[in-house]
Amino acid sequence: MSGHHISSAKFLWGIGTALFFLTFVTVAVTWIQIPEPWNVVVAVAIAVVKALIVVAFFMNLWWDSKFNTLLFIMSIAFFLLLIGITLLDTLYRVDPVPSF
Amino acid sequence: MSETSAVKDKQEHVKHYFVDSDQQFEASKMGMWVFLVTEILFFGGLFAAYIVYRSWYPELYLMASTELDAFWGTVNTVVLIGSSLTVAMAIRSAQLNQIKGLIINLWITIGLACVFMVIKFFEYMYKFQKGILPGEYYTYDGIAHEQANIFFSIYYMMTGLHGVHVVIGIGLMLWLVVKAKKGVFSSQYYTHVEITGLYWHLVDVIWIFLFPLLYLID
Repeated sequence: MSGHHISSAKFLWGIGTALFFLTFVTVAVTWIQIPEPWNVVVAVAIAVVKALIVVAFFMNLWWDSKFNTLLFIMSIAFFLLLIGITLLDTLYRVDPVPSF
Repeated sequence: MSETSAVKDKQEHVKHYFVDSDQQFEASKMGMWVFLVTEILFFGGLFAAYIVYRSWYPELYLMASTELDAFWGTVNTVVLIGSSLTVAMAIRSAQLNQIKGLIINLWITIGLACVFMVIKFFEYMYKFQKGILPGEYYTYDGIAHEQANIFFSIYYMMTGLHGVHVVIGIGLMLWLVVKAKKGVFSSQYYTHVEITGLYWHLVDVIWIFLFPLLYLID
């Protein structure tokens, strides 16, 4: 069983510090005006890295049963499916619902 | 003989339908992950709404997000990440049988969660006073865009649902403190702490995405 991984306090503080640092980076990149589509890409990319750090090392997926990782990946896959199929409709409407 | 002693060896907290404590722990944790999957898709619907409307009205998002205070958004991000850290420390304390440390870390987490909600409360109040309310109650005229209320409907739905999760998390954490004081938890049995921790980290992950998507787009 891999469910009882005990992280050292030093390690947890390291992860916390990395997350604080990446929060600072997220804010800092808004100071150097990155041109239009890329500012969103950079912001989301940093958020994804932060989220993966939390999931892997605070939620312990790194050491956990692979089945739980599979559950997590499936949730992301279905989330992307939801967005993908919705956008296939809404992006190609000639006239977005007028009153909305 | 050996069979009866094996049954006696079974610890008190292990339900009769589990082989041992580890199997029970793993089963609980997997159950929580299944719940977290539904949570991700629950918020996923709102993220989908955010993306669809942003693709329709990109200029609206740029204008409206200037009404959100990036400073307090940053403070709240730091507060929530800090509370994730203290929850991880609480779990570590439980694993090491340090019940006092567990209780202290839980109290710090509750404190940070309350700080988050207080900041959120003042952010909301400030907007309410300006007439920035969701949907048809929107009366603010500082944003030159016909659909300005849509951004704030999405804003209130996403941060509101997230706030509800924070409040539920505070409740769960108080329940853990009560249980820990009763001496329920030990290094052999801390399932509730582990699982509440998973929930709390997910609430943190959601905020990690809400923060740049709502506050930092200008």
